[in-house]
Amino acid sequence: MNAPLAVNIVMIEDDEGHARLIEKNIRRAGISNPVHHFLDGTSALRFLYEDARGPVRNGPALILLDLNLPDMSGIDILARIKGEGSPLRRAPVVVLTTTDDKLEIQRCYDLGCNVYITKPVNYENFATAIRQLGLFLSVIQVPDVEES
Amino acid sequence: MMAVRQTSERQAERRFARTVLLLVMLGFAAVMLAGMMATLAMLRGEDRAVSINHAHRVEREVDGIRLSLEQMRSARRGFLLELPVDPNASYDKASARLFGAIERVGRLTVDNPVQQDNIGRLSAMAGTLDQLFRRSMSPSSLRAAASEQERQRLASKVEALANRMLAEEQRLLAKRNAERARAVGSFYAVLAVTALLLALVGAGSIWVIRRYTGELLVSRDALQSLNENLEGAVAERTTDLQRANEEIQRFAYIVSHDLRAPLVNVMGFTAELEAAIEPLDALIARVDAEAPALVDDEARRTVRDDLPEAIGFIRASTEKMDRLINAILRLSRQGRRTIAPEPIDLDQLVTGVVDTLRHRIDELGVTVAIAGDMPQLVSDRLAVEQILSNMVENAVKYLKPGRPGDIAIAARAHHGRVLIAVSDNGRGIDRRDHERIFDLFRRSGAQDQPGEGIGLAHVRALAYRLGGTITVESELDAGATFTLNLPARFVDEKSGTT
Repeated sequence: MNAPLAVNIVMIEDDEGHARLIEKNIRRAGISNPVHHFLDGTSALRFLYEDARGPVRNGPALILLDLNLPDMSGIDILARIKGEGSPLRRAPVVVLTTTDDKLEIQRCYDLGCNVYITKPVNYENFATAIRQLGLFLSVIQVPDVEES
Repeated sequence: MMAVRQTSERQAERRFARTVLLLVMLGFAAVMLAGMMATLAMLRGEDRAVSINHAHRVEREVDGIRLSLEQMRSARRGFLLELPVDPNASYDKASARLFGAIERVGRLTVDNPVQQDNIGRLSAMAGTLDQLFRRSMSPSSLRAAASEQERQRLASKVEALANRMLAEEQRLLAKRNAERARAVGSFYAVLAVTALLLALVGAGSIWVIRRYTGELLVSRDALQSLNENLEGAVAERTTDLQRANEEIQRFAYIVSHDLRAPLVNVMGFTAELEAAIEPLDALIARVDAEAPALVDDEARRTVRDDLPEAIGFIRASTEKMDRLINAILRLSRQGRRTIAPEPIDLDQLVTGVVDTLRHRIDELGVTVAIAGDMPQLVSDRLAVEQILSNMVENAVKYLKPGRPGDIAIAARAHHGRVLIAVSDNGRGIDRRDHERIFDLFRRSGAQDQPGEGIGLAHVRALAYRLGGTITVESELDAGATFTLNLPARFVDEKSGTT
């Protein structure tokens, strides 16, 4: 509600329906930060690192990441964001995906993922989960992007 | 082509082996024949030696005849010279020796007609000669010139005859000696031939044995390398199979995940639609109240009946689809789960399974009989529990209406396997469906019980995973017996350890 407006939410999700449902439920939780939605990894990475409105050039960001993307694995994006020397190293990443494979979850946390959420198939649960995420986002403190 | 060549090769080989065997046998037969011939020759040689001895004896006796004659003459001479010795006595002795010798020669030469003839004449002449001698020595001294002449002539004739007989015997002896020499020669020849044959057969046998041994060694090596290749091939196939299996499981996993994503949308937007009904309904209620002419029955029905009905169907279907996808996911996970074999107390496990269903069992008034003293089993506890739980649950679930349920659980060991049978007196399964019920999403009989047709497919996948099988025996309306057949000691094909 009173989260600093400067915090952009970057959503990397190839399923437009999911993206829409996520956005709707975030809004229902009262989050009004701008949401930048990308359908594939390439354009998302370009926005994150190069776009004038992107987090590297323009303030803090929170990243919602799906692991199953058409052009690359979400794990690769996570590794790039959390990698050594990345300017976005401190940006919180919420992995939000259908994969509930134990190894996959461990790998994400190993790479530096901040929160891992499995999308519930049951919509009520899904909506609840996203709304709770929204509440969580409303209190989360996002660090400024490091000047590189 | 290859097979034909092999067959003809084999036939040639067999022919060769038969020929070799025949030759060896012939060789041994020849050696035996030669040995027999040598023995025969030796025996014949002995015969010759006997007859030669015989001839020598005849010779000696004939000599004895001549000697006796000479003694008779000298006795007579003694008589004439009136020597102090008793000439009559010495003559008698000599003549007795003569007749004895003649008789002996006659006996010795019974087989020789020539000598018999000679001996007959000799004997007659000797008789006459003896009389003449005796007469010439008589004291009356009837010595006549004629008789004296006659005596001398006869005596020389006897001597000549004896000499002829001696010559005859010597001829025979020479003949027999020659024969004997020949026999000895042939014996040595036969012996030499035998030795040669023996050497040949021996050499041939050694050659054949060496040849076969060499062939055996070669074929043994070939077999060994073939065996090693076979092991490699089996290992390769096993790896391929495992890879294929893993691929299928991975495929099932990915597919079920990818199917889930659109389902989230369907369910999500259905919920959004449902949520949209509320304001619409409120709107219609308000319009009804304020300006009823603005809405017709169709709009009202659409919002209040059609939309909720459609949404209800979509929800039910998506929920079912969600369950099916979850079932596939669970099956694929089951394949990926590592099996942890441990000793299982079957009695305890079965009792535990029945106890978890106790509430339903009591509610339906089902009796469950558990046979005691179940065999030892080393397997994955969780998997066995899931299988048995499903089997018992099915027995409780598919009762024959109007017949009180009766379930029996028993287990026995059989040749390194453990067979666990769950029998019920329920509605039974049609023979046509015995295979079908183990397929995913397939069910049998009246669809009056909740379920997706997943349980038995799951059970069979688990049984396979434990290296076992599950089978059913049943007739419609006559109950069913499901038998779980597990190895008494679980062996992992991947690592080969228990």
